[in-house]
Amino acid sequence: MTRIKRDSIAYLVIVGFSILMLTWGIPTYTPAYPGYGASPALVSNVAVGIMLFMACLSLLRIGVALYMNKPIPAEEREFPEDLEEGSSFTQVGRVKLYHLANIMIPSVLLLLVIDYIGYMLTAFAFLMVIQHVIGSRKWFQSVVLSIILTGVLYIVMRYGFGVPVPGPQIF
Amino acid sequence: MEMIIAGLLDAISPASLMFVLLGVAIGVLIGAIPGINGPMAIALFIPVTYYMSPLTAIGFLVGLNKGAFFGGAVSAVLLRTPGTPEAAATAWDGYPLTQKGKGEKALRMALYSSVAGDFISTVVLIVIAAPLAAVALFMGPAEIFALISLALTIIAGIGTNSINRGLMAAAFGILIGLIGTEPVTALPRLTFDIYQLGSGLSLIPVAIGLLAFSEILLQLEKFTVKGGAKQAAIVFSSKLEDRLLSFREFFKNIKTLLRGSLIGIGVGAMPGLGAPVASFMSYDQAMKRSKSKEEFGKGSLEGIGASESANSAVVGASLIPLFVLGIPGNLAVAMLMGAFMIHGMQPGPLMFKENAQLMYGIYGSLLLASLFLLLIGRFGLRYFCKAVDIPGVILYPIVVFTCVMGAYLGKSSMFDVGVMLLFGFIGYYMRKFDYSYVAFLIGFILAPEWERALQQVVIISEYDTFMFFQRPVAMGLMALTLFVIVRTFWNNIKDGRKKQLEEEEEVATAAAAVGEHKGD
Repeated sequence: MTRIKRDSIAYLVIVGFSILMLTWGIPTYTPAYPGYGASPALVSNVAVGIMLFMACLSLLRIGVALYMNKPIPAEEREFPEDLEEGSSFTQVGRVKLYHLANIMIPSVLLLLVIDYIGYMLTAFAFLMVIQHVIGSRKWFQSVVLSIILTGVLYIVMRYGFGVPVPGPQIF
Repeated sequence: MEMIIAGLLDAISPASLMFVLLGVAIGVLIGAIPGINGPMAIALFIPVTYYMSPLTAIGFLVGLNKGAFFGGAVSAVLLRTPGTPEAAATAWDGYPLTQKGKGEKALRMALYSSVAGDFISTVVLIVIAAPLAAVALFMGPAEIFALISLALTIIAGIGTNSINRGLMAAAFGILIGLIGTEPVTALPRLTFDIYQLGSGLSLIPVAIGLLAFSEILLQLEKFTVKGGAKQAAIVFSSKLEDRLLSFREFFKNIKTLLRGSLIGIGVGAMPGLGAPVASFMSYDQAMKRSKSKEEFGKGSLEGIGASESANSAVVGASLIPLFVLGIPGNLAVAMLMGAFMIHGMQPGPLMFKENAQLMYGIYGSLLLASLFLLLIGRFGLRYFCKAVDIPGVILYPIVVFTCVMGAYLGKSSMFDVGVMLLFGFIGYYMRKFDYSYVAFLIGFILAPEWERALQQVVIISEYDTFMFFQRPVAMGLMALTLFVIVRTFWNNIKDGRKKQLEEEEEVATAAAAVGEHKGD
């Protein structure tokens, strides 16, 4: 997929989201105008309006460039594997879905099961999985690190901050 | 006067001293690790400060930020991998010195320059913030609304190459910031019947997700996709003259350090520019004015001094817009603003009236953090260098798990962990698609204040559409906002055309060369 195509899809998603918010999300989930001050929906409508306008403007720019058969800048034609470009805060490049799934699935599972099987087991299993995912094959090191980290955070939270850890309590 | 003395005494209380020291030490350690920066460290550690007094908490976080700024130079000098974006210019001259075995000398220069820049900017902050805040107190809701609009417009340009995408990100941040209780009706808004959203989204899970978790998702690509990264061993020379920095070497560059500090202060005081701009600007000026230009990029101590003094000077100066106007000028300050709010304070000119003692305590902590940075850097430099050697397979699971528990800590709620994961996911996509998460986060933080100011304007003006025309300062600021938008778009179009012309020229040159070749 070229970068221009990918950007166009992103703009279309933003347009769709904005229209959905303007026609359903904001009207349904905003209190009615109380009769004084600005409408509770004003700022949210302005914010979504800006998103919609900017996304349409960007799509228009791409559309005009394609229609007039203007040469597309090199960086927008091809989509390199990993770009060092973008600002120092972004890292423009391909979305690595497999990688993303490797980290996100254990994280979401942690969220779902911690209330049932408790902090200790979930934290230990989560840390083992994450270490395996990022390439650690030293089992002894992984087990030791998982036990230490689980224990240290338990002690810090329970006795340092007095906050109960999530899920059923063992101690 | 009593307030000043009481504030300074608070700053030197044992608890405050200990946490400022701890903040600086952790900051240097974290900043030295490539991929982890100051704002990320603040996001991760804000939950820990829930249990501290406001002064201790702010002192700790300020120390953390200052330490991280210097820590960024450690990996820049030793590995040519800047720990923070603002340390990139430091790497240009620091790394060649490391290759010559003079890494320790380069780090000492970076340390002393950082401390000098940081100290000068803190003094400037102390001298000018309170008088400016007194002037800012005359501003009404119309001026505040116009000022926040201007700040959001300027900030939309940070962290992306496209103002369009920056504005979209800022607008999205505002939308998310509006979730919760509507201020006039006190009824839930945009909560989608999820009761946990009734009080709005907390800053901490959103910030940890966007800053820390999404960064870790990117960093981990090196491990899950590329199979890990190896780095060369760092060798320090044992010769004393290669390790230590003489007075002569330091004072030879004093003019560069002062210039760098002034550039850093100027850039830091303006919302939206940030430390990388100061660092590159100062490096560029130092190179242009240097008698030994040819040494730049090959291991010039002057280059390191220029970059480090400027980027550290931004730390103190960037607090000026926060203390004077209540507007965060960069990401680290936005996080600090969040910390102030969590501890029940609204940053802005009123702080000097309502929390004068605390403000002087914070000033004291800022000065102490500079001193601690000097001490920690001076005596612990070699140990902090080891931070760059921590294997990723050990470091990243710790950071991932800290993100999870940090998000949980605020409200002891797994819902916040879910929010953190969601914004980590959104942040990953924002970075990959070049949407500014900085603009998003600042929009998110400023949205409630922006709306409050707008509501006040509408109610006070009794629906007078021409309210802004009766307030010259507000009108001026709104005009400036429009000017910034138009100018940025114009520059974008100009840059695009220039790029296109260059490409067309390149294609034409290449075609001509092929034609000549065939003719031969």
